[in-house]
Amino acid sequence: MNSSRKKTARLTAATILLTTIVVGASQQPAPPPPAGTPATIPAPVVAAAEKIANDPQVLALLKEQSTEAAAKARWNQFLELVRIPSPSRQEHLKAAEIHRRLVNEWGFSPAEVMTRADGMIAGTDTNLVDNLPVYNACVVIKGSYAGRSDAQHYRGEFPKVLVEGHIDVVNPEELPKSGDPSIRIKLQPYAQPVVATPEELAAILDELSFDAKGRVIENDKYAMASKIFANAKDAEAGGGVRIYVPGYGDMMPSTSNAFVLAAAMKKHNIKPVYDIWICGTAGEEGKGNLAGMKQLYGFDQKAGTGSNPLNFVANFGLEGGGVVNFLGSYRFEMKFKAPSPRVDGPSAPAAMAAAIAMIADVKTPSELRQGAPRTTYTVGRASCEPPPAANMGVPSCALEVDMRSTRKETLDEIRNTIEPMFQAGVSAENARHGRKDGSDEAISLELMWYGLRPAFVAESVDNVAVHAGLQSGIQLGAINAAIVGTGSGSLNDNVPANTGVPTYQFSLASSAAGAGGHAFWEWGTRGAPATEVARMHRVLTAALIVSGFHAADGTVVQPSIGPIGKRTREVVR
Amino acid sequence: MKRLIFSVVVAAAIVAAGTPAFAQQSGQLRIEFQGPGGHSSGAYGRVSALHAAARAVILIQKALPAGSFQITNLTGGNSVNSIASDGLIELKLTAANAAAYKELVTAVTKAAAEGAAAENAFRNVKPGDLTSGAPATVRSIVTPF
Repeated sequence: MNSSRKKTARLTAATILLTTIVVGASQQPAPPPPAGTPATIPAPVVAAAEKIANDPQVLALLKEQSTEAAAKARWNQFLELVRIPSPSRQEHLKAAEIHRRLVNEWGFSPAEVMTRADGMIAGTDTNLVDNLPVYNACVVIKGSYAGRSDAQHYRGEFPKVLVEGHIDVVNPEELPKSGDPSIRIKLQPYAQPVVATPEELAAILDELSFDAKGRVIENDKYAMASKIFANAKDAEAGGGVRIYVPGYGDMMPSTSNAFVLAAAMKKHNIKPVYDIWICGTAGEEGKGNLAGMKQLYGFDQKAGTGSNPLNFVANFGLEGGGVVNFLGSYRFEMKFKAPSPRVDGPSAPAAMAAAIAMIADVKTPSELRQGAPRTTYTVGRASCEPPPAANMGVPSCALEVDMRSTRKETLDEIRNTIEPMFQAGVSAENARHGRKDGSDEAISLELMWYGLRPAFVAESVDNVAVHAGLQSGIQLGAINAAIVGTGSGSLNDNVPANTGVPTYQFSLASSAAGAGGHAFWEWGTRGAPATEVARMHRVLTAALIVSGFHAADGTVVQPSIGPIGKRTREVVR
Repeated sequence: MKRLIFSVVVAAAIVAAGTPAFAQQSGQLRIEFQGPGGHSSGAYGRVSALHAAARAVILIQKALPAGSFQITNLTGGNSVNSIASDGLIELKLTAANAAAYKELVTAVTKAAAEGAAAENAFRNVKPGDLTSGAPATVRSIVTPF
């Protein structure tokens, strides 16, 4: 997620609430449906959900995934993938391992792997984002549609449904320059307090071990980490441990299980009508700028339009949320430059500090006015060049700011408050040294990078992705009403939503507890494998409702949407 | 008034540094800030170690005489979409003698603590508060290097 733990927590809370409601329904009067906007599910979608959810092939897949061996395989796969560092825009190590396993272990042919080690995808018109390659990892479950005599396509691309979760993680910030890049997975009993510093984390002695091939070693520490709990209270009482590793909450358990689902679909010969792509996407975190999704949807940041070159007709995200509105964000990287970095002249770090200190005092619209759309900001990162010599000052410093809101008006309001503070910091530092802005030796300002995550407010909740997402939940008892919440998320889904492609989200993860998302102390504790299987059931059902499905009885559930995906500009290739 | 007296002392010390009896002293300090960090939106409202560091820089400027310090680094945070859990100021100090240098270090340490305190106050957290089990405050530590 770009919002990870909190989103996961919200989803978990919502799931618990809804599960409680469903479980309680047999004993008490039906509770009122949750607040939100009702969707109108078409009858064919209701019928498709029932048919797919009970299909013998689907049930066979789920039965296998319900075994202890399958649960262990999923757990081990997660541990082995999550330890591969994957900073935003440097996801190639993790993508390479997924590519390797797809062909060598998960049953796919090289032709079914749709992404390349160099970051290229055939068919898209956007293989570079922010001038960098995009390390997505995608595999296709081939459908039957292309073989039909009346099959339609968009410039050679037959329709596809995308199921995706991101593979990039906030920490570590960069890949190590040398040595073993693997992340140490530390274990800490609940009886001890959450670590307060990176040093405390590093000092924990208990950690998981892996062999030379990257396989987890099933020793006593593994046994300790592999205990299953329902929630934090049970874990605390039952000898559970916090498993510290970046990506535990955001969002490798869900993404890893997407590939488990892909392999299981292949093994059990699940046959859709339209192709289904299952992707681990790049660039969701940090300065990633949703690069993975921009490649898949041909999204041009400057124009704010997507060509949808691969012809996706619907999108399913796996970061949880179940939302249809998406937070917008503005992101800036600003450089504070000292043309001649004298020790006694205006200072780049001081100018940057002045700007940050001003920004630090900002109150957002939602803090200032009751009822204003939720709006947030932070100076997420800052850095400086070292002085070139002992008797010289710092040549330049740079900061990165994130601003978000559910509505463009309040997003612009916070931007209009914060953006002038960059220059105000510069001017304050120049004035402190009696220099005019723009004069010799004055600090100057340069825009280094600008990120846009376009906001999206749905005009209607009635689209095929929402219908499939809700009805699969209703069919399987995960929810009890076709209601879309009023909340907003900041997710990969921003891109398809702004391209016109319907999208919905759920999760394939099942943590018992966790916290520390986006921080050095991100941790989780293993949750119930049965939850993962139930969620696979729902995701599979929803994806097949939209893609269409060749059922075990020989009938065909037709796709719930036409074969030409939406787009906001034409492809250029 | 305290600041004025301190400045006079430092200035006098710097003047006195021209005499052999007072050897000029310089050194470098690292001021580290540690906070809980978190998602920029999901955990909004938590303190930022980087915001605290910037506040401390401004306080250092106010507390120390011009020419007695040079900020050589200001860094922190791990991604644009995360509240910074760490912040770091590196600076050089120059004083007329050991006693004056000690005064500078004391002033820097005080400014660092006040920068952290200002950030904690802005976000309404106090020592002992926890966020998701982790310490909710930003803390500072000053060390020579």
